[in-house]
Amino acid sequence: MTAPALITQQSRSPREAAEWSRRQILVTNLRAVMGRAYPRVRGMAREKSWLFFEIALPFLATSAFVYVYRALQAPPQYVGFVVLGGAMTAFWLNVIWMMATQLWWEKSQGNLELYFSAPMDFMSVLLGMAIGGLFMAATRALVVLVIATTVFGVTFAVDQWLLLLVVFFLTLTSLYGLGMVLAALFLMWGREAFHLNQLLQEPVYFVSGLNFPVGRLGILGGLAISLIPLAVGLDAMRQLAFADSSYPGGTPSPAMEALILVVMTAVFLFFSRVALRVLERLARREGRLSLRWQ
Amino acid sequence: MAVRSGVASLAFDPTRTRGRGLVDIARSFVTATRLGWQMEANWTDPLLFFIYSIAKPISSTLIFVVMVEVIGGPTTHELRGFVVVGTALWSFVMSGIAGLAWSVLEDRERYRMLKYVYVSPSEFLVVLLGRGVARVAVGAMGALITLLLGVAVLGVAFDPAGIDWPLLLVAMVVGLVAIVAVGVALAAVCIQTRQEAWSYPEAAAGALFLVCGAVFPLAVLPAPVQVIGLLNPLAWWLEGIRSALLASPFSGIGGPGSLFAEWTGRTAPDSLEIVVALLATGTLVTLAAIVGFRLSDRRAKDRGLLDQTTGS
Repeated sequence: MTAPALITQQSRSPREAAEWSRRQILVTNLRAVMGRAYPRVRGMAREKSWLFFEIALPFLATSAFVYVYRALQAPPQYVGFVVLGGAMTAFWLNVIWMMATQLWWEKSQGNLELYFSAPMDFMSVLLGMAIGGLFMAATRALVVLVIATTVFGVTFAVDQWLLLLVVFFLTLTSLYGLGMVLAALFLMWGREAFHLNQLLQEPVYFVSGLNFPVGRLGILGGLAISLIPLAVGLDAMRQLAFADSSYPGGTPSPAMEALILVVMTAVFLFFSRVALRVLERLARREGRLSLRWQ
Repeated sequence: MAVRSGVASLAFDPTRTRGRGLVDIARSFVTATRLGWQMEANWTDPLLFFIYSIAKPISSTLIFVVMVEVIGGPTTHELRGFVVVGTALWSFVMSGIAGLAWSVLEDRERYRMLKYVYVSPSEFLVVLLGRGVARVAVGAMGALITLLLGVAVLGVAFDPAGIDWPLLLVAMVVGLVAIVAVGVALAAVCIQTRQEAWSYPEAAAGALFLVCGAVFPLAVLPAPVQVIGLLNPLAWWLEGIRSALLASPFSGIGGPGSLFAEWTGRTAPDSLEIVVALLATGTLVTLAAIVGFRLSDRRAKDRGLLDQTTGS
């Protein structure tokens, strides 16, 4: 095949073909988002075992926390706190297992160099991963929430539906923004990433107050609210979803926490972009894109 | 021709194909354990590894301690010992279950060595057990540190002179076998599934947590679920260790309103009952796990799953 044969009808030279319009760039990036989200959404139908392991079993784990409160004869809203926490766990696990470690995993599989060499913005890949993962996590969260609410008779009392929805979506955007930052960092840290993921589970559950009001942790809880999206989002949602019950004080109002989430989203997205640029430059310079198992 | 035949008979030693039985099994197990430990521990410096090993069990314990404190306040002091021992021991379960399953996933999906390990002369299950033991050791360290923290910082009442050593030893040995058996069952599942099965062992452990009386007595569960709990060797293991270590009035198996109390007329099982129940349920689970693993192994060979790589 000769060189001229490669030139398309629209462009007169390879150089001209390489100069893309805004529309071409946008469409390509949207395709990348859809392409990366597709295997996650489609994979749900192909691997049925996740229905049992990712939905039924986590529901039982959430139930264990409910029974702790039942054994202690706790006020009914605490069962609601646990159910809400159990539902939000799905998103956190998705962020750390299917966002944070994913790029490092892709490197081990040999896909990372293909991503970097493809004509798209790398953020599109991350966004596609996030959307696909969000779909999986939302399914699990919804099932846990609905079943647990029905089985344990949780009653929600919401006065401000709009604010609750806003807080929920802001929690998700900040969580997945954090996931994008971690994805870049974990790629740099190599195989320590897998182990560090372990550290991001129970310790984060504890400081975020996943099963109890985070205000009970005092300064530690305050620190979590200012740093961890799960902590601040969950606290705001609990305040809004159980408006009729006495909620332990010591944390900001839901509106203030929504503002904190906005700031977190902006900061995490900015840092993820910066981290990816630095990482890409380092990876290209040091030739570590295809270095597996490190 | 006679010379060539002689050379051939010298080169081929038929006894080597038969292996050396237990010696080979022991050697495979030790090598796999060493390999597993290296993979667990050599990724970082000892301090970070230590923090990593204890952060998870300590955090789990603190979650439940805070839950108890939030509701009961200082009046629930005795319950704290029950919760601390239950959650500390649970790190054994988490690491024991996850160790074997993750070995399958790591070797197949990440290092892509499973097929080579499988066709090596070593027994596949023995290699997996060896790899899993390393992670159990990490879990044991976490459990021990958490127990020490519980006594030193959280004020758990503990009298070293009151430890029932025979019960502790028997319960620990039989219980660990049962935990590893559950791990074998999860490994059998992970051979069949895709890369995302990383979270399956934790999900399974979370579900077992409900029916083992680790942090609340089985008595608070509905009767049919209590039956499942009584068939669960982990519940008897926890009861045995708790009875051996603490002079606590709380029982995970018995207690007022429990099925155990209804059937036996007593509020808590004695040491002999605990050991017998642990042996019986542990044997059942171990046999079921081995059968399940063999079936999974056969299906994996049949469908070419041992060298598949997946992703999403």
